Amino acid sequence: MYPENGILKGEMKVAGGKLIKCRMTVRTGIIVNIKLSGDFFMHPEEKIDELEEKLAGCPLDEKHLRNICSPFFEGVELIGATPEDFIAVMLKAHRRDN
Amino acid sequence: MLIHGTGDAFTNMAIDEALLISGKPTLRLYRWKPSAISIGYFQSMEEEVNLEECTRQGIDVVRRITGGGAVYHDERGEITYSLVCPQQMVPVRILDSYRLICTSLAGGLGVLGIEAHHAGINDIVVNGKKISGSAQTRRYGNVLQHGTILISVDVKKMFSLLKVGPEKISDKGIASAEERVTSIEREVGSVDERELMEALLRGFQDVMGLSFHEGALDTKEREMAEEVRKKYVSREWNFKR
Repeated sequence: MYPENGILKGEMKVAGGKLIKCRMTVRTGIIVNIKLSGDFFMHPEEKIDELEEKLAGCPLDEKHLRNICSPFFEGVELIGATPEDFIAVMLKAHRRDN
Repeated sequence: MLIHGTGDAFTNMAIDEALLISGKPTLRLYRWKPSAISIGYFQSMEEEVNLEECTRQGIDVVRRITGGGAVYHDERGEITYSLVCPQQMVPVRILDSYRLICTSLAGGLGVLGIEAHHAGINDIVVNGKKISGSAQTRRYGNVLQHGTILISVDVKKMFSLLKVGPEKISDKGIASAEERVTSIEREVGSVDERELMEALLRGFQDVMGLSFHEGALDTKEREMAEEVRKKYVSREWNFKR
């Protein structure tokens, strides 16, 4: 099994787009806090803080991440990445296959 | 209106934000003194910038209000532009507005004999090599797009200051980061700053039908710039992610 505690980092280059990175603290499989960074564009920019707040407390699995990300990204404009890329980078960090 | 000049990183970013708040159609062409690194809104300062080296070389670091990547603004080898206007003056779709503004800039470079064109989301390239990168934000019903235009390039210095990972360049299929960039001097030799400025104005006139007269910040914009400069100096803002 993969470790469920600790600080996890993920990074991915979106094909033809930008770089997304995530750094998160995970305890018993739940995100305690997370920082998303990279050279993508999101409008309005400060919404990223809202996403990070919503992700704190979320179980680190695809279903729960999607439940938070899908409605969130309906309200913002992303350029250089897709909502799926954000989910993918978090799962990548979880799998520690960077 | 056209404004030009030289400022430090914090003043330069504060003036762009003050202009965005004001929304008066303005083209600003400026340099950075001392040389500086600006990072995108979403980037991590520690992950993108070699801070120890910046301190050693006297390079300022600042976070922008726009997304995108880290940029090295060399005091002599780079000029930055910013364009501010009400949203109605550019296409609604952000990607379309990048295309319009970058095509104007490329048209300006064309006046200098450089065959440049808009590529990807926010780049301008010459023979596949990047000569300019831009970033845009929209607030208060206005648009700010600013970006760098390389005049000469010291890639070795640039990459001593930035932490450039192999992933950043992986899908572009180019082994060396040095092969990805070019500059005005590399393409057509030395260009007088006035000539460059006039060429860029011509590009905006031809593509967007904009004409500019030289001016300066008004009192309100100057006061606003002084106020928001405090944010750009602060550790809280620059190291927030």
